[in-house]
Amino acid sequence: MNHGLGEFEQLVLLALMRLGPEAYGVAIRDEIEQQTGRSVTVGAVYTTLLRLEDKRLVATRLGDPTPQRGGRRKKYYRPLAAGRRELTASLNALRSMTRGLTPGLELP
Amino acid sequence: MSTDQDLRSVNPPWLALRLSSWRVPEPDREYLIGDLIESFHERRVRYGATSARRWFWRETLNLLTARWPETPNLPVDPPAEASMDSLLQSLRVALRSLGRAPALTALVVATLALGVGATTSVYSVARAALFAAPPYPRSDRLALVWERDKDGSESNLGYATFEDLSREERVFESTAAMSYWFPTLSDGSETTRIAGQRVTWRFFDVLGVKPMLGRGFMPEEDRLGADRVVVLGHNVWKSRFGSDSGIVGRDITVNGVAYRVEGVLPPAFESLLAPGTELWAPLAYDASLRWACRSCRHLRMVARLRPDANPVTAGQLLDATYGRLKGQFPNEYAGAGTVLTPVHEFVVRGTRQALIALLAAVGLVALIACFNAANLLLGRALRRESEFALRVALGASYRRLAALLLSEGLIIAIAAAAIGSALAVIGVDVVVRLAPMGVPRLDQVRVDSGALMFAAGLAMFTGLAASVLPALALLRGGLEGSIRGGARSLVGSGRHRLRGALVAAEVALAVMLVSGASLLFGSVSRLLAVDGGFATGNRLSMELDLSGPRFNDSGAVAETWRAALESVHAIPGVRSAALASQIPLGGNVDMYGLHLEDRAGANPAEDPYALRYAVTPRYLETMGIPLRSGRHITDDDRERAPPVVLLNEVAANRLFPGGNAIGRRLQVGGGDGPQRTVVGIVGNTLHRALDREREMQVYVPAVQWGEEGGMTLVVHSDVAASSAIPAVRRALRDVVPGVAISKVATLERLMDLSTADRRFALALFAGFAVVALVLAAAGLFGVLSATVVERTREIGVRTALGAQRGRILAMVVRQGMVLAGTGLAVGLFATWGSTRIISTLLFGVGASDPVVLAVVVTSLGAVALVASALPAWRASRVDPMIALRDS
Repeated sequence: MNHGLGEFEQLVLLALMRLGPEAYGVAIRDEIEQQTGRSVTVGAVYTTLLRLEDKRLVATRLGDPTPQRGGRRKKYYRPLAAGRRELTASLNALRSMTRGLTPGLELP
Repeated sequence: MSTDQDLRSVNPPWLALRLSSWRVPEPDREYLIGDLIESFHERRVRYGATSARRWFWRETLNLLTARWPETPNLPVDPPAEASMDSLLQSLRVALRSLGRAPALTALVVATLALGVGATTSVYSVARAALFAAPPYPRSDRLALVWERDKDGSESNLGYATFEDLSREERVFESTAAMSYWFPTLSDGSETTRIAGQRVTWRFFDVLGVKPMLGRGFMPEEDRLGADRVVVLGHNVWKSRFGSDSGIVGRDITVNGVAYRVEGVLPPAFESLLAPGTELWAPLAYDASLRWACRSCRHLRMVARLRPDANPVTAGQLLDATYGRLKGQFPNEYAGAGTVLTPVHEFVVRGTRQALIALLAAVGLVALIACFNAANLLLGRALRRESEFALRVALGASYRRLAALLLSEGLIIAIAAAAIGSALAVIGVDVVVRLAPMGVPRLDQVRVDSGALMFAAGLAMFTGLAASVLPALALLRGGLEGSIRGGARSLVGSGRHRLRGALVAAEVALAVMLVSGASLLFGSVSRLLAVDGGFATGNRLSMELDLSGPRFNDSGAVAETWRAALESVHAIPGVRSAALASQIPLGGNVDMYGLHLEDRAGANPAEDPYALRYAVTPRYLETMGIPLRSGRHITDDDRERAPPVVLLNEVAANRLFPGGNAIGRRLQVGGGDGPQRTVVGIVGNTLHRALDREREMQVYVPAVQWGEEGGMTLVVHSDVAASSAIPAVRRALRDVVPGVAISKVATLERLMDLSTADRRFALALFAGFAVVALVLAAAGLFGVLSATVVERTREIGVRTALGAQRGRILAMVVRQGMVLAGTGLAVGLFATWGSTRIISTLLFGVGASDPVVLAVVVTSLGAVALVASALPAWRASRVDPMIALRDS
C-alpha cells in the first residue's frame, strides 16, 4: 500500500538528490532554505530523515569527525531506489492533480 | 575582552547544548549535535556571536518541542542464542527502550510504586494485628473460657466456677484466672498508676512464658496474706528500675505497701490478654472468700487445652459441667453454658472487620494503579506498532517481542518494588501514628522481610500484568499492514476498546472507594452529632488513686476526698467539681444487678443489670446531666441518712413502666445491701461509646456506697478545660501528697477518642479515594488524548465539512462520559454488593443513602468532565488544513 510522502519528506528527498554525496544535516537544511526561502530547523530535518530511514527510503554512511563539529562525525544520506520511486509517485500524483489548474495556481 | 568572555562567545551556549543533547535520541545525537555546532560556528563567523547564540537557542527550543518518532535500533535482533544470553539481551534492549520514553516510564513506575507502597503499609499493620499467631508457644491451644449468657454473649466467671471448670482434666492441661488491677507504683519522688493483673499462680505456665530473671508465682504465694509479691514487665523494669538485674528479691512500693519482686519478664513477652499490663501479682482467692462466690462474675479464665482435646468435644464437656453446677446451685447461675474463645480470635475480633475493610480498600488502590500502568503501557505499545512491525519484518519472532515487553515489565516491576518498599516504610509510620489504640499489636508493626516479600510479589504481579496486557493486545491484533503506515493510520480501529475497558474498570474501582469514603464520612458526621447526654465544654476529667496504709481506713479516704474536692473548688475559675466511680466514655464499665423490693425474682441472678455510678453531690450538675424529676443527690445524703438512688430515664421506664418510679425502693448489687429509695430521675448518657444503645444507669451517693480509693474527678471551669489542668494538679498534690493522677483529659478529648477508629478508617479511605480519583482521571485523560490524536484526520474532515467546534467538543466529552458512566454504573453496583465489608464501621448510613449516591455521582462526574476537558478542547482546535495535510 502506498501512503504517499508528506510535503517536507518530498523536500528532503529532493534536497538529497540535488546535493548528491555531500548530503548531510546542515547541507540539507541550507539547500531547502535557499531553494524555498523557508526557515527550516535542523531538528525538523532530522525528524524527517529518521522517518525516511524508518520507511527504508534512504541509506546512510558515516563521515569522519572534524574539529569544526567538536569532534563529532557527519552522517551522510542518499536516497534508495524505493525512495526515488516514492518520490516519483508523489510528484506524479501532484502533477496529475494540478493539470489544467495552471491559471488558478500561477504555476510557472 | 577577557578570555572568559571569548570562550563564552566562541562556543554554543552550554545549557542549550545540554538540553538538545538530552532531548535528541541516541542513534542520531552525535550527527545532529555535530551539525548544530558546525552551523553555529558558520553563523558566528558570518553574523556574529550574539546572533549565532540566539539561533542556537531557537534550534534547541524547536528540538525540545519536536515529536521524535519511536526509533528502532537497527539491527536489534541477532539470531537467538542460549536463553541466558537472550534474556540478558532482552533486558538490555528493554532498558534502552524504556530509556527512550523516560517520562512515561517514570509515570508507570510511580503509579505502581504508589499502589505497592500503600498496600504494603496497610498489609504490615494488618499482618501484625490479624494474621500473626499470638507470641506464645503452641498458641493454638490457648483459649479464654467464659460463661455463656442466654442471649449468647460471653461473660466473666466467679472464682468458684473457675475452680470447678478447671477440674475438667479431659479438656485442660492448665488454667488460670485473671482480674484487672490498677495499682500505684511509687519510687522516691513519684507515684503513678500502672496497668496490672492479678492472676492465679499458674498464669505464666499457661501462657508458656518464662521470666527472664527470677521466677513466676508459687502456689503458696497465691493465698491471702502471702500475696505481697510481684512479677515485673520488661518495660517497667527498664523505665522505673533502670534495668537493675539485682532487683529480684528486693521490695518495691505498690499501692503504698512493700511487695517483693519475684521475677522480670523477657522483652519479647506481649500481654495480649490485658494490653499494656506491666505488673502481675497473685490473685490470692479461695472459694471461702465473700468475693469468690459463683455469682461474683468478675474474673476471666485462660486455659491451655490438652494436645488431644478437640474444641467441639471440649465445649460439650464444659457445657455438661456447667449444667451440673447449675442444677446444684440454681440461684447462682443464669447462663446457658460456656464459650471457648481461642486467644488469637480474642485478640483480633475487635478490629478484624475494620482492618479487612482497609485491606480491601488498599487492594482496590493497587488494582487501579495496575490498570493505570497497563493503560499507559498499552498506549505506548500501540504507538510503537510500526516499530514492532519493523522488528518482525527484520526477523524478530513474536516470542522475541513478547520477551521484550515482558522484560520491560520486569524492569518496571523491580523499580516499583524498590520505590514501593521505601514508600511503605514511610506509610507504615503514618498508619501507625494515625491508628487508634484499639488496633492490637501496633508496636509490633514494621516493614520486615515478610512485608518486603509482599511488596516485591505485588510489584511483580502488577508490573507483569500491566505489561502482559499490551503484549497480548499486540499479538492478538497482528502486525500485518502496519509496517508502512505507522500506527496513526489505524483510525477508528477497535484497538482502544481494551483501553476503554481498563479506564471504565478504574472508574468502577474508584467509585467503590469514593462510596466507602463518603459512607464513612456520613457515619463519622452522624456520630459527631450524637448527643452523649452530658456537656463537654470547659470540662476535664482525671482518675485519682489513693494508696498506702494510711488509707486503709475508709474514714480517712472519705476525709481525703472531701479535702481534695474542697481545694479544687477553691481554685479561681472552677465552677464546680465532683468525684465519680466511673464516667461516660471513661473506659470503665461497672455494672450491678438491680433487685426491686416489691418484685423479688425467684433467681436474683436473672435480675437486670445497670451501670452504677457512686458519685459525690453536684456530679450531675458538673457533667451537665439534666434532672428530669425529683431531686439531686445533696450534701444531706450522708452515710447514715436513708439510702437514696437516682435512675436514668431508661432505667425508670424499664423498671417502673407505670411512670411512678420516685419513692420506690430497690437494692443495687449483692444480697445484703440496703434498700435504696428512688429520689430522682435524670437524663441518659452514652457510657461505653457513642454508637451504643442507651443503657440503664443508677447513681448512688459515694458516702452511702462505701468509699473507694480510686475515683474520677470531673471539673467544670470558666476557662478552657486544658488550661485549668496545671492548677488542679497542683491543688491536689498540695492536699494529697501521695495521690496518683492518671488519664487526664478534657471531656471533648474523650468524645474525640470514641470516634477515633472511624476517623482513622475515614482518613485512610479518603486518601485512597483521592488517589483512585486521580489515577482514574489520568487514565481517562490518556485514552481520550490518544483517540483525539488518532482521529485528528477525521476531526479535520468533520471540521472542513462544517462541523461546529461545539459539536467536536461534545463528541469527545461524550466519549469520556460514556466511559465514566459505564464505570460508575458497575462501581455503584459493586459497592452495593460489598458494603457488608465495612458494615461494622458504618453508623446510621447505608449504601443506598441518597446523599452518598449524590456525592459519588457528582465527584466522579466532575472528575470525568475535567479529564475530558483538555482533550476535547484540543480536538476542537484541530486545524482542518494541517489535519488533512498530515505528514
